[in-house]
Amino acid sequence: MTRSVSASSSPAVAFARNAAPVVVVALLAIGFWWLLSATVYQGKGYLLPSPQEVAAATAENAAVLAGATLSTLKEALLGYALAIVIGIAGAAVLAQSRLLERSLYPYAVLLQTVPVVAIAPLIVLWFGYNELSVVIVSFIMSLFPIVNNTMLGLRSTSRNLSELFALHRANALVSFWKLRLPGALPHIFAGLRISAGLSVIGAIVGEFIIGSGNAEGGLGVQIVFAQGRMYTALLFAEVIAATLLGFLFFLVVSAIGRLLLRHWHESALGS
Amino acid sequence: MSAEERGGRGAAVTLRGVSKRFDSGLQALGAVDLALRPGEFVSIVGPSGCGKSTLLRVMAGLVAPSTGRCERPAGIETAFVFQEAALLPWRTVERNAQLLMELEGHEPESYRPRAAEALKLVGLAGFEKSYPHQLSGGMRMRLSLARALALRPGLLLLDEPLAAVDELTRDVLQEELSSLWRQAGFTGVLVTHNVHEAVYLSNRVVVMSPRPGRILDVIDVPFAFPRAPELRASADFAALAGQVTAVLRARHHAEAVA
Repeated sequence: MTRSVSASSSPAVAFARNAAPVVVVALLAIGFWWLLSATVYQGKGYLLPSPQEVAAATAENAAVLAGATLSTLKEALLGYALAIVIGIAGAAVLAQSRLLERSLYPYAVLLQTVPVVAIAPLIVLWFGYNELSVVIVSFIMSLFPIVNNTMLGLRSTSRNLSELFALHRANALVSFWKLRLPGALPHIFAGLRISAGLSVIGAIVGEFIIGSGNAEGGLGVQIVFAQGRMYTALLFAEVIAATLLGFLFFLVVSAIGRLLLRHWHESALGS
Repeated sequence: MSAEERGGRGAAVTLRGVSKRFDSGLQALGAVDLALRPGEFVSIVGPSGCGKSTLLRVMAGLVAPSTGRCERPAGIETAFVFQEAALLPWRTVERNAQLLMELEGHEPESYRPRAAEALKLVGLAGFEKSYPHQLSGGMRMRLSLARALALRPGLLLLDEPLAAVDELTRDVLQEELSSLWRQAGFTGVLVTHNVHEAVYLSNRVVVMSPRPGRILDVIDVPFAFPRAPELRASADFAALAGQVTAVLRARHHAEAVA
């Protein structure tokens, strides 16, 4: 069928074909950046440092940058993991009854609509100037897309299949594990992919609040610190590191999703 | 293998004064009386929305009748085949064929060989490790049948299972279904729009009125089994199909005039 096209070429060739357009765009963007920094912003490195300056700042501060990235990675990963566990479990509970959904779902929405930047100081006040607060901000940021998509998935079970399971005396637990949860996986992974980047953003926002002026800590702390010193080249390096971190989360989650869905779901067939 | 070895004789099912009014106020079924003899194949034909699918769901126990009752012998397995194959797309063909026995709490040692046997019966041997999306529409319906047959049902309820497949496949599947029914010995109830399908497969054809559905007529089909595919081209067959259509039409005409 449609799979024969990709099956005829080797994985390496397929990867190169997929990656080539992305690499070309990246090279063009860096070229344009370099051009801009060498012309309009010539001598104004504090506004737009050149790619070479950013590379140099990265090398110079490699240890701090690596430590900060690792620290943010840890916090974002914890917040994300917490959001996955609580989000999926919460959605599973909400999907059990309309009454539960009506009474609790609005609060899940509120958690999404409240400006995280505004309540982050409150969280720091409650949980202290520590990593726990950062994890909580990251968790709040990543929770809603997971809850929402999981609920949508759990509610999308085909009527015929539900009837089939009822006819053969499957109880709610069996229906959940053998029918509703596997059927919801494509939706769940759609939520997880959205939240992957959000968890890193949440961690950085949390670090902004707890970490101003602190030389230790994650990327958010370092960004505030670099800004204070007008060290724009390092600021760029940190922003790039934070962006790549979120991208990495996304790639890992997408790969796991493809692995789980590759045999049956349209989105992953032939991958 | 005799019918007894494959799961015993078909079940006798009796509907007494079954009607159904849904919570929405929709009267789907009038009072329906119908007695199914063990091992016979009965088709229900009628216009869209006449409640024939509801009747099938009452027989399955999926819908509780508003009045009347459906009597089924205790301890018989009932299997249901839907218009869409209703497969689990994340399960392989063999795991789909095992599903109903698994849900009914059978042990893997007993359901694995039974599922394999059912797959062989419907001509899906060799596709055990495939996934549903790799199968054609006809093969998916065969798998859906195998899944039901593996349970060795006393009563098999079929809700327009062949409506979505192409005409050539439909003819072939009708012939296969008829031969499976004769081998397995279940009582079969088929809901269909297709008068020729109903006549070709059945001992009796039940014709229903528009909503609220009532039985207008029950027409005996005298042709002996096994029925050759060529039977469909015979004059007797055409006459009987015409008789069923006439009952459907007469009512339709009466409604239109009134």
